Amino acid sequence: MSVYGLERISVPMSPPGFSDDTSDPHYVPAPCQVACPIGTDAPSYIGYIWEKQYPEAFEAITATNPFSSICGRVCDAPCEPACRRESSDGAVQIRNLKRFVMDKLGTDLPKTRFEVSRKETVGIVGSGPAGLTAAFELCKAGFSVSVYEMTDRLGGTMVWGIPQFRLPSGIIEEDIQRLQHQCPGLTVHLSTALGREVSLDELKERHDSVLLTIGSWWGKPMGIPGEDHPNVEDGVSFLRRINAGERPQMPETVVVVGGGDVAMDACRAALRLPGCKTVKVVYRRGPEEIPARKIELHHAQKEGIEFVYNTMQTGISDLGGSLALQCVRTEAGPPDEDGRRSPVVVEGSAFEISCGMVIAAVGQKGANQALDAAGLMDVDRVRTDFTTMRTADPKVFAAGDGAFGGSTIVMAMQHGQRAAYYVRAALENIDSPIPYRTPYRTRRVPVAQDLKWEQFALEEPVFHGVGEEPASFPEIEDTYDETAAMREAARCYRCDAETGSTDYSVHHREDLFSMARTHPKDVDKHQAMLQRRLSPRDNPYPAERPASLDDLVFLPANLSRLVIDPYREACRIDIDLGPDLNLKQPFLVSGLDDAPEEIRQVAWRAAEENGAGVVSKSAPNGSVHWLQILEPGESGHARAAGVVQQWYKSLAKEDPLQESHRLKGISFANVEDIDEVVDYALAHDYDFLMLDSTGGQGSWRNELASQPRFELLSEVVVALRQRKREEFLTLIFAGGVRSGTDAARLIAMGASVLTYGVTSAIAMGGEIHDGGIRWQSDRTPEERVEGLKAILNANAGEASMMARCTGKTRLHNLEPEDLRSVTLTTSSTVRVPVPGHNVTGRHGTP
Amino acid sequence: MVSIDLAELSVREANAQLRTLGEAGEVVEILNPDARHHIGVGLTAPINVNVQGSAGYFCAGLTDQACFYVSHNVGWGVGDNMYSGSVVVGGNAGAIPGVAIRGAEIVIKGNMGSRAGQVMKAGTLCCAGNANFMAGYMMYGGRIIILGDSGERVGEDMSSGEIFVAGNVQDLGSDAMLTDVDSKEIQSVHEFLDRYGIKAPKGFSKIVNAGKKLRYGTPETPMRSIPFNTFSGDSAYWNPKVQEDITVKAQSGRYRIRGYGGARPLPHLSDIGFRKDLTQAGADRDVVSKVRMATEIGGINGARPLKLSMPVMIAPMSYGALSRSTKYAIAMGSAMSGIAENTGEGGMSDAQRDAAGQLIFQCLGGRLGWNIHDMRRADALEIYISQGAKPGLGGQLMAKKVTPELAEIRGIPSGIDLRSPSRHPDILGADDLVIKVEEFREATGYEVPVSVKLGAGRIRDDIKIASKDGFDFVELDGMQGSTGAGSAEVIDNVGIPTLPAIIEAIEALEEIDARDKIQLVLMGGLRDGVDAVKALCLGADAVAFGTSVIVAGGCISCMQCHIGQCVTGIATQDPEHEKRYQPEVEASNIHRFLESVRWQIAAITQALGYDDVTGLNRDDLVALTPEAADITGLPYEPSMAAASREPMGALS
Repeated sequence: MSVYGLERISVPMSPPGFSDDTSDPHYVPAPCQVACPIGTDAPSYIGYIWEKQYPEAFEAITATNPFSSICGRVCDAPCEPACRRESSDGAVQIRNLKRFVMDKLGTDLPKTRFEVSRKETVGIVGSGPAGLTAAFELCKAGFSVSVYEMTDRLGGTMVWGIPQFRLPSGIIEEDIQRLQHQCPGLTVHLSTALGREVSLDELKERHDSVLLTIGSWWGKPMGIPGEDHPNVEDGVSFLRRINAGERPQMPETVVVVGGGDVAMDACRAALRLPGCKTVKVVYRRGPEEIPARKIELHHAQKEGIEFVYNTMQTGISDLGGSLALQCVRTEAGPPDEDGRRSPVVVEGSAFEISCGMVIAAVGQKGANQALDAAGLMDVDRVRTDFTTMRTADPKVFAAGDGAFGGSTIVMAMQHGQRAAYYVRAALENIDSPIPYRTPYRTRRVPVAQDLKWEQFALEEPVFHGVGEEPASFPEIEDTYDETAAMREAARCYRCDAETGSTDYSVHHREDLFSMARTHPKDVDKHQAMLQRRLSPRDNPYPAERPASLDDLVFLPANLSRLVIDPYREACRIDIDLGPDLNLKQPFLVSGLDDAPEEIRQVAWRAAEENGAGVVSKSAPNGSVHWLQILEPGESGHARAAGVVQQWYKSLAKEDPLQESHRLKGISFANVEDIDEVVDYALAHDYDFLMLDSTGGQGSWRNELASQPRFELLSEVVVALRQRKREEFLTLIFAGGVRSGTDAARLIAMGASVLTYGVTSAIAMGGEIHDGGIRWQSDRTPEERVEGLKAILNANAGEASMMARCTGKTRLHNLEPEDLRSVTLTTSSTVRVPVPGHNVTGRHGTP
Repeated sequence: MVSIDLAELSVREANAQLRTLGEAGEVVEILNPDARHHIGVGLTAPINVNVQGSAGYFCAGLTDQACFYVSHNVGWGVGDNMYSGSVVVGGNAGAIPGVAIRGAEIVIKGNMGSRAGQVMKAGTLCCAGNANFMAGYMMYGGRIIILGDSGERVGEDMSSGEIFVAGNVQDLGSDAMLTDVDSKEIQSVHEFLDRYGIKAPKGFSKIVNAGKKLRYGTPETPMRSIPFNTFSGDSAYWNPKVQEDITVKAQSGRYRIRGYGGARPLPHLSDIGFRKDLTQAGADRDVVSKVRMATEIGGINGARPLKLSMPVMIAPMSYGALSRSTKYAIAMGSAMSGIAENTGEGGMSDAQRDAAGQLIFQCLGGRLGWNIHDMRRADALEIYISQGAKPGLGGQLMAKKVTPELAEIRGIPSGIDLRSPSRHPDILGADDLVIKVEEFREATGYEVPVSVKLGAGRIRDDIKIASKDGFDFVELDGMQGSTGAGSAEVIDNVGIPTLPAIIEAIEALEEIDARDKIQLVLMGGLRDGVDAVKALCLGADAVAFGTSVIVAGGCISCMQCHIGQCVTGIATQDPEHEKRYQPEVEASNIHRFLESVRWQIAAITQALGYDDVTGLNRDDLVALTPEAADITGLPYEPSMAAASREPMGALS
């Protein structure tokens, strides 16, 4: 799958036994994950690093990568050029972040071990990244695996090809130990070469399948006269010597021919060896085309390597004591089919570079006489069908550089995964398995909450270059410290993460990205994209979804209902409940009877200072407006501005409360009681009804436990309207009011005052815990007072903003006609029409 | 001296003559003005115009360099948006004299009406008599001199500039204060009065902005968005989103502000489907050349229409919310695809004008960046009434984004939390709008279309008014539309979704038999050619893409537009961040996105059996959800949604 390829639009199925996080509704792997040949879940581990959850980061890194420590140092990191921040202020340094985690936890041994659970065994020839990754995957699947390695160490190119200043030997050990710990079914045969200590037939006899991962161990010749000179050596042989520990005396000037990663390692190794003063790299194309990874090139330049571009070698002559590399200049030729410009020789441009040694890093090849004899080779590779990873021998598979030519560690690892899949399929007697695809997982880690993420510049690790004792090959750069790692992790865009927009969810924004990267003539991709875009979404409002305040939207004033000055604070929100009772904010704080005394004190103060009120059983201090909830039979406190009786069936037969000097009201919770309550309240001159939509007189526990019954409000309004007594009772709505918007909706529906219960509790610093509110001593009473005042102010502002949007200059002028419902359930529950076709005020039918 | 007699000529003819005479540098006398509106509108040459009598609304409006003398009275909005030049009124002026002036000198010898100098940016407005209420309302700069009494609430919500009052300061407006006057200022006022032959009074009171409301108080604790795609209903009523909102508001004491479009799912075009099986759509390799998509918008009343290569345009988005480079990239991308771009609020840049093939110039209540010269080089003019993301409210641009350069183009002080007015000073109702539209037409010689941008609310009523007010087209914006910064609650809870908006608009126009009186461009959360075709089927003449174009051009939807440090260099004015944006690269991405939309429109249209997008109609559609069926009146065919592949899972 390529980052913007067709496959990313119509994603092929992942093979059985391999899971993407397909249950994730937004499943679209991030570009870096797609660019990683083994599908490393980089966004998740970057997120974990920011959270300092290092074991989780370690799990995410090592889940698919048995060479995580090595990759943290030397992976060519194709993820980084794919990073969307690359085009902005530089890619997130994913490899360095991996290194940071592996330096911390690389020697940890994971708990998960893959015990042998199958009788079949697999023999693998070669222990490079392809072979050992295949071994890892096959062990995971429960097979016993034997690895045959011709040298005395495991690791192949990783050990023999990469100099220690980039990859210290202890790092390799970490990965090998982890691998061997996790794979008890893995047997290693060192110093066992195919065709020398063991034959192909023996392997085929011992094992149910054989996998050849022989690597491309030998350097290719340059094909120019004079290259058989003893001071001319191929790059891989040179590096092998150095990595075996040799530190040969070098001539003063060394020329390295080639521009790939081997050339980079060779030139930098040479520079560090005794005697060497100057290293020149000769490359036949320009600096734009050089295939070496940018960072290696950059480091080589920093260390003083000289680059001779647009130059092609033509011969080598012995000048007696020194060599002359004969060269010609080149220039870019016309572009070929792929748009690549082949270099063409500039006439008459021949020149010589004088030096003491030439290292040819112009490519590698695989070779094995036994395989030649068995007819499995195709010149310098094992002849292998990429779609099945099979060779001509039905029992023998092949993978890695030895099968497909020189590549990178991580590509070889992908081949290992792929080969393991097809080997497994063969052992399970599946003739034509579903084609392999790298699986993508996401661990859904929250985005880093670092607000400087947009501004942090790319973190460069401290670079030491050749160091003080070059020949000892000290490591070139440091690992991030924690601060640097966190800053770098914060830079991640988190292309995998939802950010909270439904219409531009990851799924949609990735589609838009892909549309913007599809050539107008690429009809296949357009067709696939269209089918993807045509697939409908699930109904966001399934039938079982209950009615919700969230479904009510306000109708703004535009050309109709224009008013002159709805700007800023020009909207009244206060309300008179009685002759001496003006609430400056139409809010009551509720649920306080369950609260600790300290919290109650806080609420009383805040409500008083804001000119709001409280509704509770217990009497507040100070002069805050207080509606007292009466227990049956209890009489009102002298201090109360009003009293609230709780409705019960027999109340209808009792004498009404005699309150002439203050407000009286009834609180009730059941829709079935509406007619009785309304009749009783109207008959006995009650002032208000408290619609206790969650029950429990506004108790926080009740509020948290139940879905508010909004129909209580709409049905009371209907009942009053039927009796033509709409303005006779003030309606206080209690329970489930979360915001100023909720308040405005309920006011539009007919309420005059709202209670904030759980909302107040959270604002005062309470946390929802175990169905109730938990308090911690994490703030002062003053801070809690400020919190509650702030939420009341914010909600008052929000409510008035809703009113102003609809063209009102007074909050309580909102009316049901200012609302529409976006769902049928809510529409029929609260009697607010759905907008659109033929709106006549009738309500939707669920 | 040339005489023009308005007893014989229409104002339109007179203005055409004035433009010609202006080029010739003549002095002109207007006879029998009869208090007609729009006298002298749109003059941009140094010409002297003497109006012998009284003028109506917008006398000398949208002019530069011209000098007017009106012997008697003027109506509303004298000198509207005038650059340099002057108007001297011998008598009284109606409401909003000197509205939105950007350098002109306006002298009223008598009294002046309310809200004098509203949203003025620079220049001097002088009244020898008394002012009515709210003089200097929301002024951004310049000077008002009142020789009589100030009127009530003088300096209401002014953000900069000075008001000098010689008479009584009756009372101060919100966020205005009295301050000391220095002698240089007095000298300058005296020089001005001398120049116009007005006797200077003894002393002045000076009123300036008190600076209490220019910036929000406690800043909201910013945080990166956490995905809360499920609101209540099937998720917990007190879900983490609700808790986060309460916690944040309990710190700031204010509603939350954020950028981007709606967070929650609403009934949308995704909830309707096509009646026909479209699995073979686009099988024709050359479908784009076989479906007619070219569309003209804005020509129904005789103006020069926008010629779109497909029924698609760019939604209005401002330079301000977006960086200059982004507006430039969008302009280039739209030109490459042969469609129209829109300036949004906040003015037109040369780069944008040059890059855009066709450019709509938008006028908002703050008149930020609005001027006659850019009107003249626009391909269409648009009056913004409201937008889907935050209908009923004005724009918000956080101080971080109000850079000196941006402030310059908008004519405002830099570094303030800019809250644009939510209403036009001169459009208090539908009737005013008719006169305003006519002013624009006068200023541009009736050549370019005039449109109205409407956020979807009471669209059944609003669209009828718009059609009667003489607009050529309406840009109708559903509540899924996005914004650079707005109240989070308003973004998610005010307005009606795009789907019912188009339904109500079409039905309302059909009710009054006016479907052909106005063209409809639908926007608000449209993302691709599929949405576009559905909109066309429902009756839209064209659609507009905003956010999806931004996403195509590199936006990563992090919803932090309001912070002003956009990581991709899109929603920022910080030069360091803007450098990250490569306009040429993103222009070609935007272009490819638009071409992809084109391909999708063509493929679906052909698969539905038409060779022209005008063939698309309602019968091609079905509703996939009960809500969509109710909203649209389309047949409910839930089985068509069986192949659903975009689950709405809970993200906690």
